[in-house]
Amino acid sequence: MFIALKRSSMSPVIYEALDYGIGITDAQGRLIAQGNGIPAFIGTLDGAVQSIINKHGLEAIHPDDIFIQNSPYEGGGTHLSDVCMLKPVFYHQQLVAWTACKAHWTEIGGKDAGSVSADTTEIFQEGLFFPGIKIFERKQPNQALIDLIRANVRLPDMTLGDMWSSIAALQVGERRFIELLNKYSLDVVLAAIETMLDHAEAMVVKKLKQLPKGTFKAEDIIDSDGIGNGPFRIAVTVTISDDYVTMDYTGTDAQVPGPINMSYGGLISAAREVFMGIVDPGVPANDGCFRRIQLICPPHTLCSATHPAAVSSYYDVMVYAADVVRKALANALPGKLLAGQYGAVCTVIIAGHHTKNQHDTPFILVQPLAGGWGGGADKDGESGQFCLGNGETRNIPVEVTESCYDVLVQQYALHYPGQGIGAGQQRGGRGIVLDYLALSDISASILFSREETPPWPIQGAHSGSCNYACVINQKGEQEHFTRKQVHIKKGETIRMVTGSGAGWGMPNKRPHDLIKSDIKNEWITREEAHNIYHYPLQ
Amino acid sequence: MLRVATDIGGTFTDVVYIRNNSIHQAKCDTVYPHFEQGVINALVKTNLTCSDIDFFAHGTTIVINTLTERTGAVTGLITTRGFRDVLEIARGDTPDIYNVYYQKPKPFVPRYLRCEITERVNHKGEIITPLAENEIEPIIDQFQAEGVTAIAICFLHSYANPEHERTAMALIKKKWPTVAVVTSYQVCREQREYERTNTAALSAYVLPQTDAYIEKLVSKLSKRGLRCTPYIMQSNGGITTAAHARTHPIALIESGPVGGILGAASYAKLIGVPDIIALDIGGTTAKCALIQDGHIPITTEYVIEKTPTSSGYPIKTPVIDLVEIGNGGGSIAWIDSAHALHVGPHSAGSNPGPVAYGRGGEKPTTTDANLYTGCINADNFVGGTVRPDRERIEQAFQSLGDQLGVSAMEAAQGVIQIANANMVNALKLVSVNRGYDPRDFVLIAFGGGGAMHATALASELSIPKVIIPPHAGVFSAWGMLMLDLRRDYILAMQAQLTPANLPVLAQHYQQLTHEARDDFKRDGFSDHQIRDERYIDARYIGQGHTVRIAVNTGEINDGWLTQSIATFHSEHEKAFTFRLDSIIEVVNIHLVSFGLVDKSECPEIARVTSAQATPFSERRVDFAQYGVYSTSIYKRTDLSPGMVINGPAIIEEETTTTAVLPHNQLELDRFGGLHISINSPDITN
Repeated sequence: MFIALKRSSMSPVIYEALDYGIGITDAQGRLIAQGNGIPAFIGTLDGAVQSIINKHGLEAIHPDDIFIQNSPYEGGGTHLSDVCMLKPVFYHQQLVAWTACKAHWTEIGGKDAGSVSADTTEIFQEGLFFPGIKIFERKQPNQALIDLIRANVRLPDMTLGDMWSSIAALQVGERRFIELLNKYSLDVVLAAIETMLDHAEAMVVKKLKQLPKGTFKAEDIIDSDGIGNGPFRIAVTVTISDDYVTMDYTGTDAQVPGPINMSYGGLISAAREVFMGIVDPGVPANDGCFRRIQLICPPHTLCSATHPAAVSSYYDVMVYAADVVRKALANALPGKLLAGQYGAVCTVIIAGHHTKNQHDTPFILVQPLAGGWGGGADKDGESGQFCLGNGETRNIPVEVTESCYDVLVQQYALHYPGQGIGAGQQRGGRGIVLDYLALSDISASILFSREETPPWPIQGAHSGSCNYACVINQKGEQEHFTRKQVHIKKGETIRMVTGSGAGWGMPNKRPHDLIKSDIKNEWITREEAHNIYHYPLQ
Repeated sequence: MLRVATDIGGTFTDVVYIRNNSIHQAKCDTVYPHFEQGVINALVKTNLTCSDIDFFAHGTTIVINTLTERTGAVTGLITTRGFRDVLEIARGDTPDIYNVYYQKPKPFVPRYLRCEITERVNHKGEIITPLAENEIEPIIDQFQAEGVTAIAICFLHSYANPEHERTAMALIKKKWPTVAVVTSYQVCREQREYERTNTAALSAYVLPQTDAYIEKLVSKLSKRGLRCTPYIMQSNGGITTAAHARTHPIALIESGPVGGILGAASYAKLIGVPDIIALDIGGTTAKCALIQDGHIPITTEYVIEKTPTSSGYPIKTPVIDLVEIGNGGGSIAWIDSAHALHVGPHSAGSNPGPVAYGRGGEKPTTTDANLYTGCINADNFVGGTVRPDRERIEQAFQSLGDQLGVSAMEAAQGVIQIANANMVNALKLVSVNRGYDPRDFVLIAFGGGGAMHATALASELSIPKVIIPPHAGVFSAWGMLMLDLRRDYILAMQAQLTPANLPVLAQHYQQLTHEARDDFKRDGFSDHQIRDERYIDARYIGQGHTVRIAVNTGEINDGWLTQSIATFHSEHEKAFTFRLDSIIEVVNIHLVSFGLVDKSECPEIARVTSAQATPFSERRVDFAQYGVYSTSIYKRTDLSPGMVINGPAIIEEETTTTAVLPHNQLELDRFGGLHISINSPDITN
């Protein structure tokens, strides 16, 4: 399923960023197995199945129905771009399972190309909303709905291509599951599923016993909602007992006017992601693992936004929600958790028209950017890596970018922030700098978070740095910004810089042979080595 | 005619040779780090006179060992200004998605040896900024000061225009003739700069050592009188001349493991079976590949050291598309903290080895389980050289069983079943996952453990027939005696599959064909000794990934186009369950040229009429879910075509053991290959 979707997709955000997840649930919507490009969808598929069952009732669900749903406010939804498709699996007229997939479609309509906005204030500006409806009924496509989609999105071939890839994935999953039933019988398979879920839970409980027990608190600052409001507070109290990990987000600020709100579906994913990371049960994530999570968050907050809050840029709050738990636990779990990372998905959407083909066709490039991770108790931070929570997301190769979009990439390099940023016994990793020279007039939407509050250090190290972008024209580098849409004229360059991670431990404890190697590899200058690390100048 | 093939494995160096239509084999210890000496030792053991050898082929693990042991050259990289960190950023992915403590694979070239140079070519191959030739000398100075002995050059879009890479290489060679230089254009002409840069860097990294090794091997062989040109096995499923291998070492990366897969393909061709799954089970891993209609699948999406928790290092060189898993005879059985049983991927290796070796190994392995259940003959273990310690084996399974609350025998059965489940998974990855139905294929199994597990695996997947070829234990070396020279020419180009683009496609194929003819001419091949195959990597416009299709080698005209388009639609549907009414776009064209060499005849075994096979003994064998039987044991050398054996039965030979399950039926082909019809009853009932 996972491979079928990736390899037949039309969207780079799917086939390179792997911004999708697929899975199988049982008839009631309990997650049996999930294949993920990114952890962000781990909380979404089972919820989607449950919401379809609740809405339609079992009697209205037939073989060869396919449902489409992207509501952010229910069923594990996130934002409208993440479209979930679901197919009930019937065996001898009995509903026995569901195959489901959720993928980030590049275009779902709405006010901005790419359907992810910096400045929307309500859901109605953000694109097509599918409230858990049938796009296929008993094998028959709902042509009216497909025509409606085609008429409401900017790149209909790409959008409908993504739909077909999703359907391919569902069909592959269904076929494999039925093969299993034919081979082993329904009873054996259902019993095996129960055993598998119970085994996962048992593994989790074993691992919980090894974790430090207690209550841990942390807060972080979300600097802005993109339309001038902020800063906002995100707070968590984590309690680890022998039986449960409890994450309580009480104390987090209320939902905001701008499009950064995250619904409860996103919070479930964040909680599951961070839980799987710290518990590390040694089994694939399934419903059995999640029985040991307790998640608490009052409604209408930044992490539990409700209708009609704007949510199209929700994903950075999801990163914050997971990171704040890791911040709370970092000192208690050295060797497992890190100092603060650049901490944002750093989405860039470039839109324009191809001038190089005979046809003047529109293009939209949606991509997240890699940045620097924080240092750990016994390792330096990773450089140029997609943010924690972005999983197997991969960058779009420069050569592909230049072949598909009207830009010339002038540099794709690790960024040197200087000033002792990220210094520590273990230093933070470097962010990247990416320069696009516009070969025709283009527009760029920059949607960067962590614009003012830098990544947090641990045990006396230095903070990391923030993300920003700027336009470079004849007059040189213009002012830095983090969230806006800019028009770039042919011949101008847009520069995107992601943050470096924070360090772990006092810089003066860093061994000299590592500092020497840092200087040789130009990670730091000799002056910086002297001023920050007290390394001899000579 | 005397034809010799040698294959270096982790433990043994194998020699297989065919003289006067009869096949012989010899084994010697692999000699670290002087691998060529192991080859010479094995040859000495055969008592062959080198000057009598008409054909000599060699499979080597030198390239992969140099990479995994990090013993290659100090390598410098020269790349386009602005892009020296491409190798370090890589693709930025975290395959172990919940692990925030993930560590990226460290680049083979450290940052201080990655130098930038002013130059730029765009994706159409147009030069935007000329190469700043004056910047090369300071880089050379720096590299010399740092002890660099190999240089990789990779510039953006060099697949579209290699001029700058060629010029830079020529300038370096002029100023520094002794340094090894590899340009990305020589090793990979596909898009994606990280993968191409990494391929070039790793090629340079292994070049000096591989070059020295092959040189030593050739000189030692010629000192002993070898007169023919030695051939080296490549990962693409063909052989090449030693001279060519020295300059293109990365093409040898899977030189060893693919021999057996190719042997299976050749054997299938010999006996007229077009569609097979080849399965090679060794000591630590199992490998499999699917071959349809004789076509050996090739991929350039090859990655070393890739695991579920690491991205590894991509190498874009043509490699046989095989799936390898950490499950072999030496795989260790273990129990997790919630009492579930697992097998592998950790292996007991040869030291201490399985419990049965009596070298201090205490953890039970798959091999121990096969001994304990009676499948492997304790009297003929490792060719009769090791007397397995049954008591220790029993203790090991008893302790495993105690933790699981079952008997020692049930624990051993569980180990075999889990090992089989892991291997079934691998077999599904090459078949079901790619749109093939395993029931349409014949399973050809070999390697030390292939014959032992094959029938159970076939039953699981409803594969109707298993074939155990002759010399199954040393099949990799045998495979090399059946091969032609092979060169792959892949060129990135973006063109829609439309009538208007036929001339440009034809022109590019012609360019590659010329290149191939020239290369083979240098090796002394004339045009009539060359056979071509053509492939295209294509996609529906807008897609990011491609489907590889075979296209015909005739004239590129409207008929060719219609046929190619039809092939694409059906291959896409096979892989992804749907087809679209969209324009098809070509991303790479691929020419495969074979330089044909004379092959060995495989000797036939005389057929006997209505002869009964005579077992040499009988023992109790526990076939797990298939039941416990008092089972007839046969010597393979006693069997001839014409005989029929009904399962259960065990067939023993020096290097492997074949399990024939209840209800299976065994017959022999004219070369002595064992054909086992599975006929398995539905095991779930």
